[in-house]
Amino acid sequence: MNRFVLSTGAVITAALVTVLMAGLGRDPKHIDSPLVHQAAPAFALKTVGTGETVDIASFRGKPVVLNFWATWCGPCWEEHPVLNETARAHPEVQFLGVVFQDDEAKIQDFLRKRGSAYPTVIDDRGKTAIAYGVGGVPETFIIDAHGTIVAKHDGPITQEQLQSYLAEVLR
Amino acid sequence: MIVALVLLLIGAPQGAPQGVPLHGDALARRTQEIASGLRCPVCQGLSIADSPSEMAVNMKTEVHSMLERGYTREQIETYFVHSYGEFVLLQPRSPVIWILPIAALVFGIAIVAIMLRRLAAAPRTKKIDPDVARVRNLVKGTTS
Repeated sequence: MNRFVLSTGAVITAALVTVLMAGLGRDPKHIDSPLVHQAAPAFALKTVGTGETVDIASFRGKPVVLNFWATWCGPCWEEHPVLNETARAHPEVQFLGVVFQDDEAKIQDFLRKRGSAYPTVIDDRGKTAIAYGVGGVPETFIIDAHGTIVAKHDGPITQEQLQSYLAEVLR
Repeated sequence: MIVALVLLLIGAPQGAPQGVPLHGDALARRTQEIASGLRCPVCQGLSIADSPSEMAVNMKTEVHSMLERGYTREQIETYFVHSYGEFVLLQPRSPVIWILPIAALVFGIAIVAIMLRRLAAAPRTKKIDPDVARVRNLVKGTTS
């Protein structure tokens, strides 16, 4: 009987400790995206500077790196050169920046000073950010040539991480 | 234009509106009610109705706009769950969340009950010191 009670207690304790340990190792701000392996939500937004409308559907047939960012976000400054460099090195991949909760003049100033190798659109009311389940910036979505989201990256992306995502969609 | 709109509605996770478009006070009340059940993704346990963050304001505006177009509460929640997952609901839809703690409690009570029953049923054998037993036997021998 004692053995039964002890083993039951041990199983329950082990399960509890495992769940708690797994929780401790997680980033509390990270939200698992239910959109991974789903079709990328449709949107058509205006390009910063030119005002031209960019429709995500027009990129079908090409992998897309969709980066949500803002000028007030420090980590976005950090990853900006990485995205620019990779966009120049991979013309077969469409890079697209989506800025939200920001001011167009500030975005233009940022892009003028730091350069831009790809178009940036403005998400005025954050509707597209909501459709993509964005919880903060930066967040990057990797979309394959069929328009399916294959990965979501939270926080500033490094060259190595981006290369590994691209290897997945360029296979 | 109409074809594009129809395609957009069909493609949208919430589908075409299934309710009655709301206006005025009813719209404001319903927006507040639904927003109170949706979690602000950039806050610590706050609903989008309670958070002043821009993200929460944008989400609340979206709820307002969807109600205005005739979407039901279920459709609106489905739309947000499609983007953010069940995490966005302050009261999860899955009954497992509510059933699991009750099941764990019942399981715990059952174990304690079984333990107590077995303890009560066990024969009460007391280990007696051999010297004490010898003395008792000797005393018994002299008295009988």
